[in-house]
Amino acid sequence: MSTGDKVFVADRISKVYTMGDVKVHALRDISFSIESGEYAAIMGPSGSGKSTLMHIMGCLDRPTSGSLYLRGKDVSSLTDGELAEIRNAEIGFVFQNFNLLPNISILENVELPMVYAGVPPKERRERAVRALEMVGLGSRLHHKPSEVSGGQRQRASIARAVVNRPAIVLADEPTGNLDSATGAEIMELFDELNAKGNTIILVTHEREVAEHASRIIHILDGEIARMEIRKTNGRGTTQWEAVEV
Amino acid sequence: MNLLEFLKIALGSFSTNKLRSTLSLLGIIIGVASVITMVSIGTGAQVQVTNQIGAMGSNLITVSPGFIRGGGGRISQDIADVFTLEMAKAIENLSPNIKHVVPTSTTMGLAVYGGNNVRVQISGVTPAYQEVINHYPLIGRYIREEDVSNSEKVAVLGSEVALDLFGSENPVGKTMRLVIGGRTLSVKVVGVMEPKGQVLMANYDNRIYVPVTMLLNRGLNSRYVDGYSIMAASRDVAKAVVEEVQAFMTRMLGDPDRFRVMSQDTILEAVSQATSTMTLMLGAIASISLLVGGIGIMNIMLVTVSERTREIGIRKAVGAKRQHILIQFLLESMLLAVIGGILGLGLGWGGGYWISKALSWPFSISVPAVIIAIGFSAGVGLFFGIYPALQAASLDPVVALRYE
Repeated sequence: MSTGDKVFVADRISKVYTMGDVKVHALRDISFSIESGEYAAIMGPSGSGKSTLMHIMGCLDRPTSGSLYLRGKDVSSLTDGELAEIRNAEIGFVFQNFNLLPNISILENVELPMVYAGVPPKERRERAVRALEMVGLGSRLHHKPSEVSGGQRQRASIARAVVNRPAIVLADEPTGNLDSATGAEIMELFDELNAKGNTIILVTHEREVAEHASRIIHILDGEIARMEIRKTNGRGTTQWEAVEV
Repeated sequence: MNLLEFLKIALGSFSTNKLRSTLSLLGIIIGVASVITMVSIGTGAQVQVTNQIGAMGSNLITVSPGFIRGGGGRISQDIADVFTLEMAKAIENLSPNIKHVVPTSTTMGLAVYGGNNVRVQISGVTPAYQEVINHYPLIGRYIREEDVSNSEKVAVLGSEVALDLFGSENPVGKTMRLVIGGRTLSVKVVGVMEPKGQVLMANYDNRIYVPVTMLLNRGLNSRYVDGYSIMAASRDVAKAVVEEVQAFMTRMLGDPDRFRVMSQDTILEAVSQATSTMTLMLGAIASISLLVGGIGIMNIMLVTVSERTREIGIRKAVGAKRQHILIQFLLESMLLAVIGGILGLGLGWGGGYWISKALSWPFSISVPAVIIAIGFSAGVGLFFGIYPALQAASLDPVVALRYE
């Protein structure tokens, strides 16, 4: 299958959980693709399957059936070790609860993906410092995560997500644990990152967050319910237009 | 990712869990300390015993009758014929490797002086015996050749005997009585031996040395001796001497069961075998506490793994592989064990030193024991760390990330 300049392609992926005798279809034959440099949002209420989709897109989990292409490479049947390498090189995670290691400094947290990538310590440090400066944490390098604010923690985790120059940045409810003002700042940061060419996928249940993206994919009951793309008219107002699934 | 990175992670996690790390260290410290202490006591005892055997006299070989098959409580005639004074000369002429042959005869008797009496071991010997057992007179003189040839009634007292009988008096030149069986002999004290103390089973200070001829002719009224103490020219030839004497005695007696030739080496071998068994046993008992320490580490590591599930999830999310997590946790438990091992080594060293001082034994700690203790504790860390580390490594990242 040719994926062209699409950074991510999902081809009829399903995820079935078996609980005793009951089979739960978390995802049913989902197909979609993400262009390189795209800013997309996956929206849906809790239980819709969007978390499962995020885990599969993030190579934390494998689909039960269907294929998944990341930068043209089929990743749907890789071993655990190969998936770890893909996560390391191609995926940057931003979590709702930051998921920074509490016992090490922010700088060391940002270095962590490069530690597992085998980047030499000196280069690692330089890149981590640059990433932190980019997110505005240049003066907080040696603080522990518990010593900075929630917004700063999320900035640190964004720095960690982009430091290995991944194919996609996957942000799972990135503003869920933040007040609205801080949340807005974080969303601005994502906008900036996208403007610099990073492919960003937001997973959220908030319309306001999703509207930062240029495309919204709605998930309901494990299926893509509908899709919307942003249209800006001549007067600069934004409209959302439904497109064919 | 190199070992240094993993070490950094492991040390970092110790510093965040100081109390817990210290507690699990304690188990290993006590385990290793007790192994080191016990083994050092054991090897100290071994050195002590070996020294004492050395103190019995260098290159000492003894010949004694084996099974004595006589009729009616009398010794069989052919053995009596062989274990004579003359035979000592014959053995001495066997080989240039033999420096001295001393025919010895020993009996228990009563030593009496003034109002004091003391039960003693009376040893009939020749002048060479002082050199053979490395025990010399402190005052006066030892038994001389002419004492032996004339069966002179002279005696050299062990230091304890001298003290018990004569108190602060100088015994040299005094006449005392020896009661041997039913006979009483008046003997002249010519010397007092230097104190030698208890050597294995024998107390050398509770003896009286007399000319062997005097003891046989005037005391026991017998022609045969108990055996011979042979001094080899050097330690190196002791084995050859044993063989020569064995061959000679076999020729004389026909049956090798009828006599026994023992060298210092054979005694040493037997004794060190016994003491190494003891050392091993002590070490084995102490190892149990090391094992318990290992189980402590496993316990702590299991708690750590479940407490750090989220950390494992985060590490996996950013690209840590199974083996990264495995190595991280294994290294942590091994590091705990090795640090505990080194601290325990110090403690055990001190404990062993203190105990050996208290017992006035030589302090001995062997390098292999140290290496084994450290290696063993690393092994304990590895063995008891494997299960928790496997648990950590096999966590599903999705589940681990959700863990609260």
